[in-house]
Amino acid sequence: MLDLWLSGIQHLLQVRELLFLMLGMAIGLIFGAIPGLGGSCALALLMPLTYGLEPITALALSGGVMGAVPMGGSITAILLNTPGTAPNAATCLDGYPLAKQGKAGLAIGAAASANSIGGIIGTISVLAVLPIAKDLVLAFGPPEFFVLAVLGLITVATASRGKLMRGLITGALGLMISFVGYNDVVGGERFTLGIGYLWDGVHLVPALIGLFAVAEMINLSVKGGSVSGDARNVEITSMWSGVLETFRHWPTVLRGSLIGTVVGAIPGVGGVVASFLSYSMTVQASKNPESFGKGNIQGVIAPEAAINAKDGSALIPTLAFGIPGGAEMAVFLGILVLHGLQPGPMILTQNQTEIYGLIWALTASCLLASFIGLLVVRPLAMITLVDSEILVPAVICVALVGSYAVDAEIENVVVTAIFGLLGYLMIRFDYPRLTVVIAMVLGGTAERNYYQSMIMGDGHWSIFVSRPIAAVLVAGIVALLVWPALRGLARPLTRRFTLTRRGGG
Amino acid sequence: MRAGTEFHRREFLLATAAAATLGFVGRARAAFPEKDIFFIVPYAPGGGFDTHVRAIAPALERMLPRMVNVVPLNVPGGAGSRAANQLARAKPDGTTIGVFNIPGMFDLQQEGKADYDLTRFTWIGSLGRDHYALAVGYDSPVKTVDDLRALSRTRPVKFTSTGPSSTAYAATLIAGEVLGIRTQLITGYKGSNDYVLGAVRGDGDAVITVLPTLRRMEEGKALRIIATFEAHGSLPGVPDAKVLAQPDLALIILERLVAGPPNMPNEIRDTLSSALIKAMADPAVVAWAKQADVELQPETAAQAAQILADQEKFFQKWKRYLTSG
Repeated sequence: MLDLWLSGIQHLLQVRELLFLMLGMAIGLIFGAIPGLGGSCALALLMPLTYGLEPITALALSGGVMGAVPMGGSITAILLNTPGTAPNAATCLDGYPLAKQGKAGLAIGAAASANSIGGIIGTISVLAVLPIAKDLVLAFGPPEFFVLAVLGLITVATASRGKLMRGLITGALGLMISFVGYNDVVGGERFTLGIGYLWDGVHLVPALIGLFAVAEMINLSVKGGSVSGDARNVEITSMWSGVLETFRHWPTVLRGSLIGTVVGAIPGVGGVVASFLSYSMTVQASKNPESFGKGNIQGVIAPEAAINAKDGSALIPTLAFGIPGGAEMAVFLGILVLHGLQPGPMILTQNQTEIYGLIWALTASCLLASFIGLLVVRPLAMITLVDSEILVPAVICVALVGSYAVDAEIENVVVTAIFGLLGYLMIRFDYPRLTVVIAMVLGGTAERNYYQSMIMGDGHWSIFVSRPIAAVLVAGIVALLVWPALRGLARPLTRRFTLTRRGGG
Repeated sequence: MRAGTEFHRREFLLATAAAATLGFVGRARAAFPEKDIFFIVPYAPGGGFDTHVRAIAPALERMLPRMVNVVPLNVPGGAGSRAANQLARAKPDGTTIGVFNIPGMFDLQQEGKADYDLTRFTWIGSLGRDHYALAVGYDSPVKTVDDLRALSRTRPVKFTSTGPSSTAYAATLIAGEVLGIRTQLITGYKGSNDYVLGAVRGDGDAVITVLPTLRRMEEGKALRIIATFEAHGSLPGVPDAKVLAQPDLALIILERLVAGPPNMPNEIRDTLSSALIKAMADPAVVAWAKQADVELQPETAAQAAQILADQEKFFQKWKRYLTSG
């Protein structure tokens, strides 16, 4: 086993491979930071370029891209309240409030170290489970996916930041949007208004860019000033203390990394669930949950650790069964096939050198990207001081081009514009926006897997509790829903108890 | 070196173009291709159709009479109908072509939900075809087609599949009918890998999909192939259409046919067609096909049009069984 790990490293430690790894890392960092571009776009553009490369070199390049994208995405999430990639949306919750307080350096520092540690823990977990990867993937079927999607949907409660009713309203809106398009289950289209573009549904990334980047910029230009506003003394120097913050919150990092690893290995659920679940659990476990959403550094660490831990384990379903966990993995799958690495149960035994090389490339790129991220924090944090008259046109321009670039469709830009307005109205009337995203991502998954579970179980709901993993997940959902209520009940009780004791003594 | 050959080629082309202009063929047509060619893939990046196009596109660029980019363009959605609509509306100047999932695509057209007519497209060639096969879980108690029939007498047999309007969906329903097995489809999986995994997991009892995929799964001891729908089976010991005495099974084929918009001029069609045939014989493409276990079978434009007509006939014959979705 150890010699395999080492041979993977050996193959990677060639000048050519390292150069391509660095190139991939740089591209990943930039594409991750620009909203809309992301890893899938970078890989799709690089795909023809890899054609002439050796498989291991192509994998070094792809690993470089995929390892660096989350770091780039977190930078924009923190500085501009615009997730560079969808999973980074959870980072906005506390990252942006920190940036507004002038603590962008602290937040990016924490994100960088959480990224690295999450990446390393993710790699260790993947190396540990790779021998049993097949069984892990096979343990999750439609009933488990459905319950997981529901688990993801109840994080809407945390993402609502205390405005539960409004969170539910926007969550329901997100669900409705997620059902637009061609129905893969029974065929036929829904809510497409006769527009061909909508047959493929409302594309997530253009909607995301509108809801965050464009809406945020409209808001900023109406308000005037800069992102960090009155916070004159931007604490860029606090970057290293940000790095240390991660080490001060070990339970948060570990929890995030483990959630990331497990969720990543489950095909079709993806990074959004990983990051929101990690955030949600951290809030639940915290002694003062009310401090989240207002700039709690743990709110940055939790999702970031999960996102990077997820990348390693997301390779398992992609490689072993050719089931991509998300858009990025789907394109990566294409690169694999182009190089004759046919995904299937055999790949884990037949192409071990390449697989281990790829895992190391991912890890190395994640560490390097975090380091580079730290180096450029100072100039980047200055963005929060730039006046809206310069920042707004520049960001809107990049956002619209990015939206078009996702899959070269002009309709994307229209979607971005509509969601931009919607997002601005939601800011203006104080409705949470992240709940829309969570529901948009999970609505389709939940519906499809519910339908499939029902056929599997001959129409009986018992299928959700008769399978052990699904039953455990259902129990988890019940616990998550009941726990805050119990805690609320328990508080007055304990107070009375202490009072009585004191009175008695 | 390379620049040199290109220079010569350009000279040659200029000469040809000039010759053509002197003749009665319009200059613009003779100069095809002048602009980049978009190659529409009706699915998201990463799938089988996408990989085929991306593997062949670089060779196709080299085989055209003039170097232009051949750009894969993913137009997913509506089980391929968005892509077909886009192609139907494109100019027939050879700058937009696409590959389609035949015969599954006929389904939407039959239901009158499409604004295109596949039979009016200009068919250019093929990226290859695949036969189907029937497989069950590796450790399943079901070992033969007869076992499945026996099971179907007690309850419908559950097959994992994609949604309506895919060839896999049609193939499963038609094969069930031909083999006398009551079927219930678990639909909605996102692609062939996804529903094959569903079968490995035991979501359903069995799965019908293209043979190369199933062969890989059998090698990995994940699935067991219990019948192939080839006329002459390629797997020893596994019954084929002949052994099962159902010749119609061998007609269930996934065709990856390449088309241009309706009314494409013949010269452009033939230029594309011969470039495509040459590209599929390119050493790099052949090496890729061998590694990826893909059967490349080039077809001329006339053959492609004939295949389409045959497939439509076949689809019409079985249409009434496909309406259960």
